[in-house]
Amino acid sequence: MTANGSLNEKLKGLLSHRVLLVSLVILALLAFLYFSRGTSIILTILIQVTIFSIITMSLNLESGYSGIPQFGRVAAVIAGAFAVGAIPGRIMAGFMGLPSGAEYTADTVNFRVVPEINALLASNWLIALGFLIMCLVFAGAAGALIGWLISRPAIRLKEGYLGISMLAIGDFLMWVGHNWTLLVGGSVPANVPDPFRLFGTARFSVIVPVFFVIAVLIFIYLNKLTQSPFGRNLRMLRDNDLSANAAGLNIVKVRTQSLVIGATIAAIGGGLYVIYTGSVAAIGLTRLTFTFWPWAYMMLGGIGSNVGVFLGVFLLTILRTMIIIFRSQWFGFLMAVGIDPLWLEYTLLGAVIIIVILFLPHGLVPEKIEPMLPKNRVKKVLASRV
Amino acid sequence: MTPWLASGLIYASGLALTAGSITLLYIVTRTFNFAVASMATIGFYVTYTGVTLYGGLPYQYYPAVLIIGAITGVICYFGLNRPLLNRKAAETTLMMSTLGYDLILLSMIQMYADFLTYTYKLFPRRVTMSLFDFEIYGERAATFILPAIAIGSLLLLHLFLTKTKFGIAMRATIENPVLAGASGINSDRVYLVSWIISGGMAALGGSFMSMAITGTPVMGMYTIPLMFAGAILGGLGSIYGGILGGLVIGLTEFAGVFLLSKYLGPWVLGYRMGIPLFIMAATLLVFPRGLSGIPLAKIIRNYYAGSRRGAGA
Repeated sequence: MTANGSLNEKLKGLLSHRVLLVSLVILALLAFLYFSRGTSIILTILIQVTIFSIITMSLNLESGYSGIPQFGRVAAVIAGAFAVGAIPGRIMAGFMGLPSGAEYTADTVNFRVVPEINALLASNWLIALGFLIMCLVFAGAAGALIGWLISRPAIRLKEGYLGISMLAIGDFLMWVGHNWTLLVGGSVPANVPDPFRLFGTARFSVIVPVFFVIAVLIFIYLNKLTQSPFGRNLRMLRDNDLSANAAGLNIVKVRTQSLVIGATIAAIGGGLYVIYTGSVAAIGLTRLTFTFWPWAYMMLGGIGSNVGVFLGVFLLTILRTMIIIFRSQWFGFLMAVGIDPLWLEYTLLGAVIIIVILFLPHGLVPEKIEPMLPKNRVKKVLASRV
Repeated sequence: MTPWLASGLIYASGLALTAGSITLLYIVTRTFNFAVASMATIGFYVTYTGVTLYGGLPYQYYPAVLIIGAITGVICYFGLNRPLLNRKAAETTLMMSTLGYDLILLSMIQMYADFLTYTYKLFPRRVTMSLFDFEIYGERAATFILPAIAIGSLLLLHLFLTKTKFGIAMRATIENPVLAGASGINSDRVYLVSWIISGGMAALGGSFMSMAITGTPVMGMYTIPLMFAGAILGGLGSIYGGILGGLVIGLTEFAGVFLLSKYLGPWVLGYRMGIPLFIMAATLLVFPRGLSGIPLAKIIRNYYAGSRRGAGA
């Protein structure tokens, strides 16, 4: 018993050691970037980290905890992005007596309507806050809807079939957004009213803490959720769905719940992304950026561990950014033969996926089996029993 | 021949080969091969490079396409698939590993396109391969040649699987790997050969498809949902089912777009991807095991039995 305990503690020590080490590497890279390029690059990285950690945490709930091969993460992100692009702006325009119907997203109208809404949002912080909350609510609702729709076939299909179907749904949604001008402007991206307009040039330094708070709230929620009996059901389903069924678990219901919750969170991430960029370019919402990168983040960080996911997102985002900003300095030999070093981003993505699968199957921070209650509470309960 | 049918036939025979490649690999190794996307694009770029740098017709570079496709398959097998199969990795892990390989290949293709632009002053990012084609009876030659090549290579594959000793061993491994191993069949070699065949098929399919659609570095990436749709429509049970599924998906896409845009207007063109996906969903609702799962013999027998009964009454 004691040997087991000390082994456990040793493992735990090693684990926190790893987290510490990765955090140090991240901090060192951040410091390096700060001293070589200044604050703006740090802000960009931080915004991307918050948005993508929200999306990746939702992926982790569905794929890491529930074992659903979610290759269509982009579908929920797109739902959130389109909802934010299409609905709250129209509502604001309707209240202000501006064109708010089908013509709102037309390229000749949109660029005149949105600045007027922006002017109103910049005048009053209460309206801006209300607008932000409205955006998040609509994004979440759209995500829940699309998650529910996707979960219908998810009951029938198995592993690979399901992953491929979800991938196809995500691609199809992207083409719908690209062609249907009524929704978000089609090939001419519709602008999104900016709730952070009243901060002027300090916009990004306000976005970072706001998004960070949202991400932390989602992190806490997901941690509570996965430690609850519901989270245990998910893990049981992932590890052996037959035995879960035999134990009386309603597989269909649990899978549907997991997909709906995950899609809601991912859609909030998509909505935040659109608010940050200020326009909805449907063709930019690709499965490469919003499905495959989150998968790489999750696999590097550790499937089934939200802290790991955060570290994975942070590390890879920094590496991606470094390829972009140092491309002429470090990869001059490629540019000499006319090759754009930006493609190395794909190489990095592919290499990370392969290396993690082959050599680091559990990721940087492996999943921890946590007791439902803290240790002292368990001891108390045991003591009261005796 | 109407233009949509000509392009549709070319495109569908390409899609049939890629869908067949996915199906073959799935039934042998349980791997959903994402890398088919980049293998297909590689096939297109091999023909493009040959035609622009060395001249001639696209068809004479197909042997090179097959070889390079097979090499990409072999690299993936030894570098990635074999260790994972030995480890008995989950289906999702196998799928993700080919995705990683696909992304590396994609980055290489993009770099190669940059290299061609810079060194040879070509325009490899938007290519209409049919410009390099010649005409037979007022039609593009590809309309006749490509389906013929597709059918020919399928016949070869069929003969290989049914008449040669190794092909029979391969089918035995597909049916029951444990039993095949017990009777002395080297499953390792079977996996290797299936990667070679499916790599060649995928690359050839890609170079076929580029004769019907615009060739771009992301050509494979945009069409991979359709390749998978073809494979799933076929039921992932037999190679022939996958090939048939790819054919159906390719033809319905072109026919559907042609008909719908005639009656509804040109806006349909943007949603062309929805048509084959809808066909797939509809078929799977009726036949959950895909085209190869349709009990054709039973249906025919029932039909004759029914008509006989009808005649008797």
